Amino acid sequence: MDSSLVMIGLTNVLSVNNIACILGGTALGLFVGAMPGLSATMALALLLPLTFSFDPATGLSMLAALYVGASYGGSIAAILLRTPGTPSAAATVLDGFPLSQQGKAGHALGVSLFASFFGGLMSGIALLTAAPLLGTLVLEFGPVELFAIAVLGITIIGSLAQGSVISGLLSGGLGLLISTVGMDLTTGTPRMTFDQINLFAGIDFTVALIGLFSVPQALTLIENSHQGNKVASRITDRLVPQWKTIKRLMPNILRSSGIGIVVGLIPGTGGDTASWFAYNEAKRFAKDKSGFGKGEIAGVAAPEAANNAVVGGALIPTIALGIPGSSSTAILLGALMVQGILPGPNLLTDYGDVTYTLIWAVIFANIALLVVGLAFTKMSVSVTKVPDGFIACAILALCIIGSFAINNSLFDVGLMLGFGLFGYWLSKAGVSPAPMVIGLILGPVMEISFQQSMLIGNDSFGVFLESPIATVLLIMALLSILQATPLFRWLRRPFKRRLEKP
Amino acid sequence: MHANTLSNAITTSHLARRASLSSAVLRLGGTRLGGALALGALALAVAPLSQAQEYAGGDEITVLQGFKPGGGSDALAQIVQPRLAEILGVNIVNEYMPGATGAVAWTRLAKQSPDDGSVVSITNTPMLMTNYIMNDAISYTTEEMTPIANVVTDPGIVVVSADSPFETIEDLMDAAEENPGTVTIGNSGVGGDDFFTTILLEQATGLSFKRVPFQGDGPSATAAMGGKIDASFNNVGNVFGQVDSSNLRALAVFSGERLSSLPDVPTMKEKGVDVVAGSSRGYSAPADIPDEVREQLIAAFETLADDPDFQSQAEQRAMNLDVVTGDDYGEMIADMEAEYREIWETVKDDVAQ
Repeated sequence: MDSSLVMIGLTNVLSVNNIACILGGTALGLFVGAMPGLSATMALALLLPLTFSFDPATGLSMLAALYVGASYGGSIAAILLRTPGTPSAAATVLDGFPLSQQGKAGHALGVSLFASFFGGLMSGIALLTAAPLLGTLVLEFGPVELFAIAVLGITIIGSLAQGSVISGLLSGGLGLLISTVGMDLTTGTPRMTFDQINLFAGIDFTVALIGLFSVPQALTLIENSHQGNKVASRITDRLVPQWKTIKRLMPNILRSSGIGIVVGLIPGTGGDTASWFAYNEAKRFAKDKSGFGKGEIAGVAAPEAANNAVVGGALIPTIALGIPGSSSTAILLGALMVQGILPGPNLLTDYGDVTYTLIWAVIFANIALLVVGLAFTKMSVSVTKVPDGFIACAILALCIIGSFAINNSLFDVGLMLGFGLFGYWLSKAGVSPAPMVIGLILGPVMEISFQQSMLIGNDSFGVFLESPIATVLLIMALLSILQATPLFRWLRRPFKRRLEKP
Repeated sequence: MHANTLSNAITTSHLARRASLSSAVLRLGGTRLGGALALGALALAVAPLSQAQEYAGGDEITVLQGFKPGGGSDALAQIVQPRLAEILGVNIVNEYMPGATGAVAWTRLAKQSPDDGSVVSITNTPMLMTNYIMNDAISYTTEEMTPIANVVTDPGIVVVSADSPFETIEDLMDAAEENPGTVTIGNSGVGGDDFFTTILLEQATGLSFKRVPFQGDGPSATAAMGGKIDASFNNVGNVFGQVDSSNLRALAVFSGERLSSLPDVPTMKEKGVDVVAGSSRGYSAPADIPDEVREQLIAAFETLADDPDFQSQAEQRAMNLDVVTGDDYGEMIADMEAEYREIWETVKDDVAQ
């Protein structure tokens, strides 16, 4: 680890400007997270173009803070409205809402805030220590190894996509296909550009991202806007939890944070997977399981610690290898790209100053979350009552401004709207856009590194087996495909039976 | 001598640094033109009272930039344009329109910009020409432009990893001679300067390398550093830091003479291979701008070139000044175009497989 870069990152974050941006970003994230239907990913996609004019440290700090804030904000609506503010707060509803019905909304929110804080802080520290370890391998990663990483990233999406595997694969495949638009990187031949000069450089994935994540949200909000007013519970009790409650929940919070970090590490999974996982584990470890689902505070702490821990965990592969661990980190990776930083193993060396700034921003954003959360949680209740129609209009306006700002191009605005309608249709069909975005990002990496590997290895596939790193990664990719097939279940059956017998 | 001067435009297009929202300039053609005429008339009225000579192209120049803010073109703009504004007594506004390795902006310059001197563009050679040489869908040509001045040229350089078995450029060329087509040479992308430099070297020596394209100069240099490729053909400005800190070893430069910053690195010319190549950036206007405007612009760049303050600032930023103005810049472009058209004709079937 290059300690001077770590310190440069720290000093970058500690400017007045950046601290203000972190506080602002956290507050904004908290409000966006509190609004049902608005996810952290969408908020990031919208804010991204607005950070172009900032310097890299400020822009990234703000985005990281927004991500952290939204991860907690989701629990506000979950607890008060029985509607998760973000998908990753879905598990929080189970015990959070019953608590608020019992007049303990403040208690639930307070525990959620502290659990989020601890989860986030732990994952930030994990990020600071683990990423550089992976980063020391940088020069070992040539085209051959990058290809193996890209393959692994893509297969994991297929096998772990939420809901139907087929629709996940379909979405990822579409992303790969769209990523081939533009000039072929090794021959200079334009592909699928229809002589449209604006397509020569390919489809800017931030444009696709804004369309795919934000427009369908806005349209869905408009669609549901006639459905009566939302009724939020009131916060009557105190917010700051008692020390003995925190102490009692600590093992649970630590375990859930660990789960969050590990789940975040796996590309293609995010806060939603982690929070359900942590909730189940909390229930399994509890001595008295009867309270779960009826207002057990451990059932709030577990998912909230886990979904905030995902932030740092998901950033580890993003930063060390340039492979996003979730759709939100895919956008943060986009933010790095906008700042002139190409995704890849050299994020921690060549661009260490900016990367460490991002890492420190995650840690400080969690501290800011505690402050902002205590100050604004009660106020954020009013946000949950803003009519959906207003929110939808604001989102659409931001989508248009944002997609124009990327290249100062009206063509991109049209492209964004096109992706928006396509994304809306996909969401109606139950297909998640997240694998598509990962496909869009990994597609070019996979393609060019494959062609480079073939050139370096004299057109022999053996080149992939000559590199130990690539071999291990490709075996992992193979296993991740196999575990999703019936073959694997069949192979596992004898072991399972043996385990079940005693 | 500039016949082999090349550009690394493809590189800078990928290395977008900071897109500034505030710099987004949206204008409607009609109103803008009207305004410019009105302001021009006003300037004419007060001319005798103010400076000796008003800029005949109006009081504002828009510079179309084909790449995102923060790249190499923008870096050039930052040191050139404040001084240019002072010399000409005008405001200079940047308009960023990235896309298709500069072709979006250059198409706008050639086809849709007023030819009164109110719009110019930063032109990266030979990307300016290879864009349309390689792709029929790109419709502008340099015939539709008025070359004003080239400003900088970043010479090509051959680098290998610090522990590479190739100690000298002869080692590398001997290896290519023994096993033709197996020595891997990284470049910044097909159509970029390093790609063409590799072909120039092959044609000059009869050797054959395996050309491996990367997404820009940075990844190409990193791959060389890790020993993933045998050598990277790069540009001095991009790898100087790594060569200076001994992470990379420089074997040769493609400049006319040895560089003062790298006095121990031989030129290709010294080794008996007449290849001079690099990446150049300058300024061009649309075709048919008034002669008076053209002359004023050229004179402004000549004044700029003699400014010691400008020279020292360029040196600080490791920019290698290479000011070529007017007809000479036009000739430099025409020579390059002829040469690269020929090169592309001979290699395109091989590249596009």
